[in-house]
Amino acid sequence: MDRALEQGDALSRAAEPTVELRGLVKRYGATTALDGVSLGIRPGEFFTLLGPSGCGKTTTLRSVAGFVTPDAGEVLIDGAVVTGVPPHRRRVGLVFQHYALFPHRTVTQNVAFGLRMQGLPKPEIARRVAEALTLVQLPDHGGRYPRQLSGGEQQRVALARALVTRPAVLLLDEPLGALDKKLRDHMKIELKRLQREVGITTIYVTHDQEEALTMSDRIAVMHRGRVEQLAPPRALYETPATAFVAGFIGNINLLAGHATGPGTVDCRGVKIAATGAAAAGAAVLVALRPERVRLAAGESLDNRHAMTVAHVVYQGETVRYVLHGDTGLELQAVELGEVRFTAGARVHAGWSAEDARIVPPDHP
Amino acid sequence: MTRGARVVLLGPYVVLLAVFFMAPIALLLAISVSRQSFGQLEWTFTLHHYVRFFSDAYYVGVLGDTLLLGAIVTAVSLLLGYPLAYHLALTRSRWKPLLIVFILSPLLVGIVIRCYGWMILLADRGLINETLAQHGWITRPLPLMYNKFGVTVALVHVFLPFMVLSLTGVLKRIDPQLVEASQTLGASPRRAFFEVTLPLSLPGVLAGSLLVFSLAISSFVVPILLGGFKVHVLPMVVYEQVLSVFDWPFGAANAFVLLVISVALIAVYIKVTERALRGIV
Repeated sequence: MDRALEQGDALSRAAEPTVELRGLVKRYGATTALDGVSLGIRPGEFFTLLGPSGCGKTTTLRSVAGFVTPDAGEVLIDGAVVTGVPPHRRRVGLVFQHYALFPHRTVTQNVAFGLRMQGLPKPEIARRVAEALTLVQLPDHGGRYPRQLSGGEQQRVALARALVTRPAVLLLDEPLGALDKKLRDHMKIELKRLQREVGITTIYVTHDQEEALTMSDRIAVMHRGRVEQLAPPRALYETPATAFVAGFIGNINLLAGHATGPGTVDCRGVKIAATGAAAAGAAVLVALRPERVRLAAGESLDNRHAMTVAHVVYQGETVRYVLHGDTGLELQAVELGEVRFTAGARVHAGWSAEDARIVPPDHP
Repeated sequence: MTRGARVVLLGPYVVLLAVFFMAPIALLLAISVSRQSFGQLEWTFTLHHYVRFFSDAYYVGVLGDTLLLGAIVTAVSLLLGYPLAYHLALTRSRWKPLLIVFILSPLLVGIVIRCYGWMILLADRGLINETLAQHGWITRPLPLMYNKFGVTVALVHVFLPFMVLSLTGVLKRIDPQLVEASQTLGASPRRAFFEVTLPLSLPGVLAGSLLVFSLAISSFVVPILLGGFKVHVLPMVVYEQVLSVFDWPFGAANAFVLLVISVALIAVYIKVTERALRGIV
């Protein structure tokens, strides 16, 4: 985890973070929503808080917006401590999952709202509203009411409304959650384009790992009120630091065993060459992506084991094989293309030590 | 359920409504345009009683007073009820059911008992005046009863639940995220209330107001008991005409004027609530 964090940090250490969280703690009665969250979000970054529901990602976002006052810790925006500052003086733009457009106001009035609160002169408001609506590609929808718009259009208006005031940071709370899949895929690209174009620092909250991987510059995976791992998408996928991160992002084999030496793990009597450090004898997990398991004969790989195909799952683009070893080891492998084996076939499963990561077992 | 079964099941109520509600109203209308001579009704058509009502300064004055009383009761109920409804809509307290019982409590007490309760408090030698006098704060009793003040207090007391419930229903449906959205856009909590919550609650304000207004202008027992025949409202005039003066046609005309005003208000009420339900979801 630390290594990934340092790698990321080296990219732009010079820039002061736009948003900084220092040791945020928030309790609701007996439950701890945030258990010491510290993060630094860099200027212009697309930063994602990823995790299952109840992991604290929304509470973190709401602390930045000012709707949650942490029990301990500090929130800084542009270097200034804003922990006790009410939401309306924080200069944040917030987009909700269900858009929260004012139903009694037209699109233009919705977008103009923040500018009106700033007391700007009318001609300037009109000019900037028009600009914002053009930016989200809805220049001719100003006169309509929110209920006359489709979900995707409402989402764009919500974005325009949040961006038009030029906030220090844009907060997006599962903004694509209410859209159907096709529109969601389209809005993902659209959202990223907008963010690049405006260059605004963005914090994005989602439980959807695919959204997180496609859009983010960096992702913080949250679990039980803590940041489990903070890394760019690729590092997160390829070098998960914990069993939770490995299991949450994509599909993965988590093979339970114990370390027998540097880079070797015994899983049910099968010696596995893997990457990562663990004390000899310690209980560990080996995290191995199914698509990194090769079923071709004759390749020279660090690990090669004869296994039996137990199930074949046809998934269209890919085929998933459930493999059983002779000593009870169970493994999944995914291949692109056609079905090459049937249930009962003997195969050689192989993978390189680099693709098998040693992670500590999930803490209770 | 088949159509036939529905008609059969609806039947008793329709008959009840027709015989005991629609027919009397039709009769009332007929009487209001009939003539009466020597205690006998003559089934003719005349607008004489309506003309008399609207050309007599006394009756027009009573009508004006009735509407004014309704307006005052409505305004006071709204001002007292809005904060209550706002709290009721937003609270997550476990005492909320108890709060609702408190708010509905005026409706659980019979109207006469409730009025006598107010009389004990508001009379010249009532609890409030006696207490103030004992402390030497007043030398003469404050005029709390047998005037518009007493009537207003008692009417607000009983109609407040209608206002609160109308408002709560609408306030509860306002998405709290709308208020949050306005705050992140720079609106202070106070500004957010006036820009978002209040405009979105207007259908409830209108619905509650129309309900309270139409109930207030047709109230009868409260103005008699707490107004002591010094506050004249239209329902009392109807009562006098029919049971004291025995001028049924004129009493019927008075009643019909009141009925038309109430029905018109209720029509507006239905239209407004319908739109409120449809528009803001």
